[in-house]
Amino acid sequence: MSGLKESLQTFHKIASSPKEQLKKYLAEDKKVVICAPVYTPEEIVHAIGMVPMGTWGADIEIKEAKTYFPAFICSVMQSVLELGIRGEFEGASAIIIPSLCDSLKCLGENWKSSVENIPFIPMVYPQNRKADFGKAFTKAGYERVIADLEKATGQSFDDAKLTASIAIYNEHNAIMRQLSDCLNDYPNVTAADRNAIFQSAFYMEKSEHTALVKDLISELTKTEKTANNKIKIVTTGILVDAEDLLKILDENDMQIVADNVASESRQYHVDAKPAETGLDSLSCKFADMDNCSVLFNVDKAIAQYTVDLVSKYQANGVIFVMTKFCDPEEFDYVMIKKACEEKSIPLLLVEIDRQMTNYEQVRTAVETFKEILK
Amino acid sequence: MSNEVKKKSPPDPNSAKFKLGKIATDAYVDAQAAKDRGEMIGWCSSNFPVEIPETLGLAVCYPENQAAGIAARGGGERLCNISEDDGYSNDICAYARISLAYAKIKDTPEQNMPEPDFLLCCNNICNCMIKWYENLAKDLNIPMIIIDIPFNPDYEVSDAQVAYVKAQFLEAIKQLEELTGKKWTEEKFQEVMEYSGRTSRAWLAATSEAKHTPSPFNGFDLLNHMAVMVTARGKKEAAEAMEVLHKEYLENVETGNSTFRGEEKHRIMFEGIACWPYLRATSTGLKSRGINMVTTIYADAFGFIYDDFDGMVKAYCNVPNAMNLEHARDKRVKLIKANHVEGLLVHTNRSCKLWSGFMAEMSRQIAAECEIPHVAFDGDQADPRNFSEAQYETRVQGLTEIMESKKGGC
Repeated sequence: MSGLKESLQTFHKIASSPKEQLKKYLAEDKKVVICAPVYTPEEIVHAIGMVPMGTWGADIEIKEAKTYFPAFICSVMQSVLELGIRGEFEGASAIIIPSLCDSLKCLGENWKSSVENIPFIPMVYPQNRKADFGKAFTKAGYERVIADLEKATGQSFDDAKLTASIAIYNEHNAIMRQLSDCLNDYPNVTAADRNAIFQSAFYMEKSEHTALVKDLISELTKTEKTANNKIKIVTTGILVDAEDLLKILDENDMQIVADNVASESRQYHVDAKPAETGLDSLSCKFADMDNCSVLFNVDKAIAQYTVDLVSKYQANGVIFVMTKFCDPEEFDYVMIKKACEEKSIPLLLVEIDRQMTNYEQVRTAVETFKEILK
Repeated sequence: MSNEVKKKSPPDPNSAKFKLGKIATDAYVDAQAAKDRGEMIGWCSSNFPVEIPETLGLAVCYPENQAAGIAARGGGERLCNISEDDGYSNDICAYARISLAYAKIKDTPEQNMPEPDFLLCCNNICNCMIKWYENLAKDLNIPMIIIDIPFNPDYEVSDAQVAYVKAQFLEAIKQLEELTGKKWTEEKFQEVMEYSGRTSRAWLAATSEAKHTPSPFNGFDLLNHMAVMVTARGKKEAAEAMEVLHKEYLENVETGNSTFRGEEKHRIMFEGIACWPYLRATSTGLKSRGINMVTTIYADAFGFIYDDFDGMVKAYCNVPNAMNLEHARDKRVKLIKANHVEGLLVHTNRSCKLWSGFMAEMSRQIAAECEIPHVAFDGDQADPRNFSEAQYETRVQGLTEIMESKKGGC
């Protein structure tokens, strides 16, 4: 049991100290590249021999970024910029920012003027991603990222190394999917613990994270399974990392049994399959991605996907965690709501923001939801 | 001081205003007539290449124009409320909320449109467009054809982007041919391209007449005429009407007339989509201070001049909301310098995250390079709840004071 506790503590420590992780890698003479959301090609950064470090911003007061963004832009973008301006990424060689939503496009444009010592590398993804012309454009986008990284760091790209990196990332994807399922048998692992495991993956080399997760699964399987009386929840949204929100879920005996959250399982749905080159493999991986609000899908498959998760994991209900001002999610919410209503699946919408300090309204909503689910 | 040009009633059928207004109105009438004949009609996003439906002979309507019309006639809040009752956040673009509500209720006193059989979506204006059209397609259970033109973070459009977008143009044509039975012909495309070029040249020439002091037109005219540029550029009627517009502006220059009423004391650039529910308030706030909004980015943005299919593809990659800050800035700087602009008035549009998301920094860079003051006000293109007339007045007053002070006034 102590092994399990220590293992979880490790995840919490890393998840809560990205700056320390950055310093650690820099002290090891490693180059670090900041990867903004979403679907940033970390494999390429890794293949060039650098550490890709994810960022989803932080729960902080926005001050400097306000001179760039109006108040109605998603707080993930605002806080990423705020961290950049405050020097929290000091020492990083570059930042890669994809442009899959309108706010992300603005983050890249604002970054150029506000954080001049960390070069902005854009990754332009296609929405018509499944056709051959879409895959070719994805590949061209990756090639541009490679050229910019080589220029920023003086290091060079090798496709064979990319293939090796892809294998590391595929292994990590698989272990994260396994972990998510495994946790369902262990209700004592809290929502906060679960989030720490997912969040810490952004701040570590994936091979290190895979090893830690494997250890955790090993510790878990050593413990005796206990009766699970928790309320089973599926979460969906962009981000479910707010400490207060997770605490409220835990206090209300809710267990996240599956998620379609952008910063959690959504990024691990698809593996890169073998192809002629590593870059082709990576381009096809993006083409295969789906069930995400920032990826075009005329069938709105995300709605059925949510319903299917509830069915597969026998969940009691869905909590849609809306990151305020995220319009792709706001459009999908309506379709998910309809799909849940058709299947009589209880759904709760909670709105969160990186600058929220008072979660009492969320608490009331979750408590009421709990009563409904009982 | 310019002489006033009084509005005539009824309008002169030979005037550009009448002709342009008729083109905008006919778009709805023609689409309904096509629908009544049993033809398939589409709803189309504003920056979708009009050359495609035009060459194929397909009638299309523009939900953005409809939403602007509904908002200008006072129906914005009512329709937004219908969408919000269905679960749409009031944070979502008001055009989208109005359009999704209309797709549900199918009838409004402000502006009706025939029901669509297909949707044509292009996201070179914003990615919000994709989400909006996805939901329309799902609700109406009709096909959606998308041309994805990604935001370009570089100054120039890359060969890779042109290849990607061109492939989608060809794919969209193929899909539409299969869906509607209409056929693409090179001859018709050449004709459409010729009209589009004529319309664009006339538009650019007309709007460039703002270089004269006083300007021969009130810049608010551009906000109205822009609809024709976006939606009907490839039509013969549009080319002719824009040529009349240019001729009228030239005549105004010669005679010292202007469609701007009163003395033109100051010349500003307006940034952003109009606040349609408050067109009168925003216009009066300027006019009462002798401020003429002589130019907007529309003046430059919708002049599509190209020589062939590839040129057309590239032109659509270079529309305002698809270009990076530096490119967007330089286009505005060019307009400001060419038209002797003294101040920049920015509409921070609650509906448009992309347009407003890096406008603050762009405004600073423009103001520094052009040595002009800039102010911003909060508003919305269609939801009346997001605009405060008092704030607008205060900001315009502040801008006026700085412009006066720069001129040596008190």
